[in-house]
Amino acid sequence: MSNSVTSRPAALANSRQRRPGAAAPSARRQPLSERLLGYGLIAPIVIVMAVVIVFPVVNAVVTSFQDQRVIGSPSDFVGFDTYAKILGDNAFWEALGRSGIWLVANMAVQTVLAFATALLLQRRGWWSRTARTWIVLPWVIPTVAVAVIWQWLLNSNYGIVHQLLGGIGIDIGSPFGDSAVAFFAVILVNSWHWFPLSAVVIYGALSTVPGEVLEAAKVDGAGAWRTFWAVTFPILAPVLFALGLVGSLWSFNVLDTIYLITGGGPVDSTTTMPVYVYDTAFSAFRSSQAAAASVLTVIVLAAAALLFVRFARPKED
Amino acid sequence: MRSKAIMAAALTVAAALALGACSSPAADSGDDKEIVLWHMEGTPNRVAAFEAMADKYNETDPEYTVTVQVQDWDQVYSKIAAAAQSGKQPDILFAIPDFATYVRGIGLGQPVTDVVDALDEEYGLIDAAKAPYLDEDDYWAVPLYGMVQMLWYRADMLAAAGIEPPQTWSELRAAAEALTTDGTSGIALPAGKNLATDQVLYSLMITGGAADFFTEDGEVNLDTPETVAAFDLYKELLKFSPTDSASYAWGEPQAAFNSGAAAMSIEKGQYLAPFAEESGQDPSQLGCAPIPVADQGGEPGSIYYSNGAMVLSDDEAKEAAAGEFLSWLIEPENYGDFLNAEPGLFLPVTTDGANLEQWRSNETVSTYATCVDAMLEQSASGELFGFVDGQYIDSIGEISGQNFLAQAIQQMYVNGMSAEEAAAWAQEQMQMAIS
Repeated sequence: MSNSVTSRPAALANSRQRRPGAAAPSARRQPLSERLLGYGLIAPIVIVMAVVIVFPVVNAVVTSFQDQRVIGSPSDFVGFDTYAKILGDNAFWEALGRSGIWLVANMAVQTVLAFATALLLQRRGWWSRTARTWIVLPWVIPTVAVAVIWQWLLNSNYGIVHQLLGGIGIDIGSPFGDSAVAFFAVILVNSWHWFPLSAVVIYGALSTVPGEVLEAAKVDGAGAWRTFWAVTFPILAPVLFALGLVGSLWSFNVLDTIYLITGGGPVDSTTTMPVYVYDTAFSAFRSSQAAAASVLTVIVLAAAALLFVRFARPKED
Repeated sequence: MRSKAIMAAALTVAAALALGACSSPAADSGDDKEIVLWHMEGTPNRVAAFEAMADKYNETDPEYTVTVQVQDWDQVYSKIAAAAQSGKQPDILFAIPDFATYVRGIGLGQPVTDVVDALDEEYGLIDAAKAPYLDEDDYWAVPLYGMVQMLWYRADMLAAAGIEPPQTWSELRAAAEALTTDGTSGIALPAGKNLATDQVLYSLMITGGAADFFTEDGEVNLDTPETVAAFDLYKELLKFSPTDSASYAWGEPQAAFNSGAAAMSIEKGQYLAPFAEESGQDPSQLGCAPIPVADQGGEPGSIYYSNGAMVLSDDEAKEAAAGEFLSWLIEPENYGDFLNAEPGLFLPVTTDGANLEQWRSNETVSTYATCVDAMLEQSASGELFGFVDGQYIDSIGEISGQNFLAQAIQQMYVNGMSAEEAAAWAQEQMQMAIS
């Protein structure tokens, strides 16, 4: 039992020790033709990446230093003036703040839902086996359908949720039309849409926790809570770290769900940074300001990601 | 090893060719005998009808065939800008007047004065339909069909409450209040940040004498007593509208109206076709009336605008071919079928179009003939912001694109601003937008 647990880190350590030493002589021995083949094989994706990522990014940065209004219209170089305008715009800071709340709230709600679901899926029983398939349903539904479904469900005239709760005397008002609750209503919808992905990943990671380790913890007298924190969670940590990093970036950039349900309203109460950038570019026709906001957002996101990696990366021992 | 090097070179060439294939071949109008048309009428019946018209035209064996592509109103601003940047714009683009100013602003659009003048001479184009496209002595779009708003009401509900169709603002407010019961809203109004809210509010601004909110110099002049009065009326009416009106656009008020959850609404002729089927009521229960007029200083009217077609191709042969196709659409033997793409909503823009047998015999148009005639009459006094009395405000696209009128409504409805504060706020926002 103990062999199976200790052999994995040992093997990993061996492989880590081997890797640098093994790679160097191999590269030295590599003939030109093989290297050319390698370059040839990666050339298509490098070219595609350059066209679809590098060019738009460079173009956005260049545009952010201009005073372009409608996309494609003539513009002049204005240095940092556009950045100064953006940084002096209260709406920018409000949108950034909302994006922060959006990110944290989505991460919290989705993590709780995903963990609870994954733990339930681990249990034995026909309903658990069935749920393993159906739990992904919210995730596979297209976002536009998600938006329509929830708008219908919560519509005050014919929404079934409204009718059912109204039947027992509960008036939920208009979740998407009330600026006090619209933001959290959209967060819940987005979390409902995306939590199955996290649930499936966590469920997969949970299934890799060796039963022998759990049994050993039980034999040593650890309770369920202690076992979870001392055994299960550390094993899951790398998966949760990756999920947290990628999920946060995805979540921050969500535009479609918000735009389709509330359009950023009412009165900008659901305007996060992507909505702000979109509206600035395509409703206010201020391309350069939208580009500057995008560049600033990338900087903020990169800083947040670095901090996340710095402080949340699981220890490798 | 040599074979691997050859394979690598071949892969690189293949990648380059594949990427090259992504770009279009060099433009050669000599070989390109296709006219691409973008429109934004995305409902299935309209899509099918427009494609049928293109097919019918292509069957006449023209030198240039027409291909129809559907776009979304919410996306077309960005798509046409991107298309302009890449030089891949459509040859014909359907537009409304304020969108046309935007398209011209990004450097697209050819004058179609010859086509408009010829159609005017042949069939007589309604002034209100063509005027918003006139700038610098040239027409920039060929008007194709008009749209106008009316007050729609459930005749059975008004009769049950003993209420006559309201003709004035005070009557409208009183009716909305009287018709509001536990399960029914007196009126369903949009209050979302969208064009639907802009347009309904603007209809009330017109009948309140606030149609023109620009000075002669093109400066914004929204913060006037007339505008404040219209804002105040809208705020009052929203008290009798469903509670989630802040997220309403086009479809929600109509759904509330047809489901019996609301007794009145203000919108265009799209209410006609689905009413009987969706409401389960006899068509006679759908009532229509002109937009109620302010009790003092008001004037009859409604928002009215024509949807036109801009010619974007700068190839002379294609320009001419696009003009031929648009003229063909207006010909009496085709125009009725074209208007029937959305019977009741699409109104003729030619003076004799109202009598076209193809159009008049359509089931919806004939069933609701009284309302259709009322809409045609209302069209005569219709206005559109930015184009009142021969105006042509270049920056109106930037104002309508940001839905400042709708945002002002939200400031009142959601944030509790007074009508005076909302008018001042909208004035400031509009001024900033065009400065």
